[in-house]
Amino acid sequence: MGSEAIRAMFRVAWLTSVGVVGVPLPAHAADTRAADGQWSMPSKDYSATRYSALAQINRTNAKGLHPVWTFSTGVLGGHEGQPLVVNDTMYVVTPWPNVLYAFDLTKEGYPLRWKYRPAVSPNAIGVACCDTVNRGAFYSDGRILYNLLDGHTVAVDARSGRELWNTQVADVTAGETMTMAPLVVKDRVIVGASGGEFGIYGWLKGLDASSGKVVWTARNIGPDADMLVRADKFKPPYAQGADLGANTWENASWKTGGAPVWGWLSYDPELDLVYYGTGNPAPYNPEQRVGDNKWSSSVLARRPDDGALIWAYQFTPHDNWDYDSTGAMILAEIKVNGQPVKALVHFDKNGFQYLLDRATGRLINATPFVQVNWAKSIDLRSGKPVLEPAKQTGVSKGNVKGICPSPEGAVSPASPPAYSPKLSLFFTSTNNFCTDWEATRSAYLKGTPFIGANIPYTAGPGGYLGALIAWDAGAARKVWEINEPYPSWSGVLATAGDVVFYGTLDGWFKSVDATTGKVLSKFKVGSGVVGNPITFRGPDGKQYVAVFAGIGGDWELLVGDTHSDDPADVRAPLDMLKQIARHTSKGGLVWIFGL
Amino acid sequence: MDIWPVTSAMKANRTTIVSVSVRVAGVVCYAAIASCARHEPAAPAAAGAGPPAIPYEAHISAGGRTPAGGEFNNPFRNDPVAAENGEALFSAMNCDGCHGGGASGWVGPSLADGRWRYGGADGEIFSSIYFGRPKGMPAFGGAISATAIWNLVTYLQSLKPPAEVPTEYWEE
Repeated sequence: MGSEAIRAMFRVAWLTSVGVVGVPLPAHAADTRAADGQWSMPSKDYSATRYSALAQINRTNAKGLHPVWTFSTGVLGGHEGQPLVVNDTMYVVTPWPNVLYAFDLTKEGYPLRWKYRPAVSPNAIGVACCDTVNRGAFYSDGRILYNLLDGHTVAVDARSGRELWNTQVADVTAGETMTMAPLVVKDRVIVGASGGEFGIYGWLKGLDASSGKVVWTARNIGPDADMLVRADKFKPPYAQGADLGANTWENASWKTGGAPVWGWLSYDPELDLVYYGTGNPAPYNPEQRVGDNKWSSSVLARRPDDGALIWAYQFTPHDNWDYDSTGAMILAEIKVNGQPVKALVHFDKNGFQYLLDRATGRLINATPFVQVNWAKSIDLRSGKPVLEPAKQTGVSKGNVKGICPSPEGAVSPASPPAYSPKLSLFFTSTNNFCTDWEATRSAYLKGTPFIGANIPYTAGPGGYLGALIAWDAGAARKVWEINEPYPSWSGVLATAGDVVFYGTLDGWFKSVDATTGKVLSKFKVGSGVVGNPITFRGPDGKQYVAVFAGIGGDWELLVGDTHSDDPADVRAPLDMLKQIARHTSKGGLVWIFGL
Repeated sequence: MDIWPVTSAMKANRTTIVSVSVRVAGVVCYAAIASCARHEPAAPAAAGAGPPAIPYEAHISAGGRTPAGGEFNNPFRNDPVAAENGEALFSAMNCDGCHGGGASGWVGPSLADGRWRYGGADGEIFSSIYFGRPKGMPAFGGAISATAIWNLVTYLQSLKPPAEVPTEYWEE
């Protein structure tokens, strides 16, 4: 069979698996999609592996990778997220103002088929905590679905670019913005809001995919009725009782308790469970919200049809350190002590890698993957961290020094890991920052930040500020690492060619031997990389790799001297990143690499 | 009813400054009153004037003719007590949550670099805080008093730009 025939066959398989609304995906759908040479959803598959079965680019030939195409999005700002490639078309969502581009990959120079320009309020810029990022779109049933910063979810016809529906789901005046990528399961479009720094009442919503109407709203914190908890269905493995999401917050502080949803969602079709992480509780001063603050900084498992909560596990009870758990929940079959486990693997901002039984939420192991000192360990019987008393924060604690990791996280949830089932290895960016933490009392004022802490970062030990690591979750050990002079803030792509791809904050895009960590190729892409590489098979049958360049996200705030676009905003560099503006400035570029 | 200090009265005597907003609730009340107690007004000034429209001095005027507009001057200019009050308010009203500690820039622009998107004259900074600005700067005029806003203006005007602005130079 020629490659065209193979591609046609895969396309049919792919259309069969996602093209019929309302029919659950077969269990093998994820495998089919991995091989199909497309990239139709943010994390590649429902298991959030960011693994492609394409293998034309391999450990031997990757040194010959070079850029074949680039395009300026016309937008400066943190280009998080990733393109989609479906039916020989590449779709790119920009940061605010959230332009959607559709590139025709069958024509020389990849000209646009169309470009969609939504009406999106500039007011959202000031309510977004950490730059105007967007983490990407989802392709389903001939439509592109994504979120606008000002709290709208839109569906756009993938062929024509015509807007099919546009629903306001978040309230900017209450501090809610939208930066996450939707997950589409059956006929539900599932979305959440950012705003952990604005005291929102965090939620997840399920929209009807054909009309855009909100079918259910599930709060992440608060009373059972708001959280869509039914006593007969909800079985958290380490907690019991009614209204846990309200009773674990003194003085009803859940009402402004944050717990946003700004990361990645995954889905297990056999269990019919959607998994997602919640962000930090608000405010940062923990003494204004005494209690465990369930279910902030947690993973929740819900039914996509009606949003019913099935189980939840809290990674960081009474989060003192802004340890959002919005990072990817990766579904994989992992051998632990020789026994295969249907696992959910999560690399948390708090520095521990967790491996849970994804049917029940029960903890199987938890191991630090960077230097951690806020907790000594995670107790596997109770599921709770064994805390380090000297690293607890609050107004009464004064200025607490040297907490590791920092609120940038051991890894940012914005930088999703990849998992190669072929090698049984995870690959993730990491940051090497610690922090001091001086909490202050914060007053809630709707539509303004609700924070209450001064948090100056310090460099972690070792003389580097970030790293890409390969990690064996079954054995809970690091396999290799590449240290970086700056925090590592890109997502990772893994392929069956045993090549992994990532980008650096100072603007290098690298391919790496997945088995050894040896860098195979690198290219300077014009701006720091905070996006996530993808791979696809082009109309010519060749494998390509695409990635955004455009420093931003938290680095919009932290390295202000990479701003060059506003003469009325001139900032001194962050002490520990004095050199980065030598290497990068803000940008907005899409790159495609090939052999 | 809100009462606006008219330009002439403000210029003449700081004791004629009036508190604009009475819509103060809970913590906001605490922030505004506690921080501004030393500059609370003695008596209301002439009533009836609305907020004056301030011409933006850096705008180009068609025909070279500046449109008519009110003057609006900071009654506390260079007053260290007002600047201190303003600094406390900058944190209490969550300004630092967007503009960073020391107003040195965060998700919102630096207000400590001597550069201004919407003008650095007294009335221009006042207007930015009172009415907000289109890229998400909230309008605080409904939440805190005019006196409190003038304290904030005084604080921001007291900040000295860092030495490395405008040139950043890297030694080999």
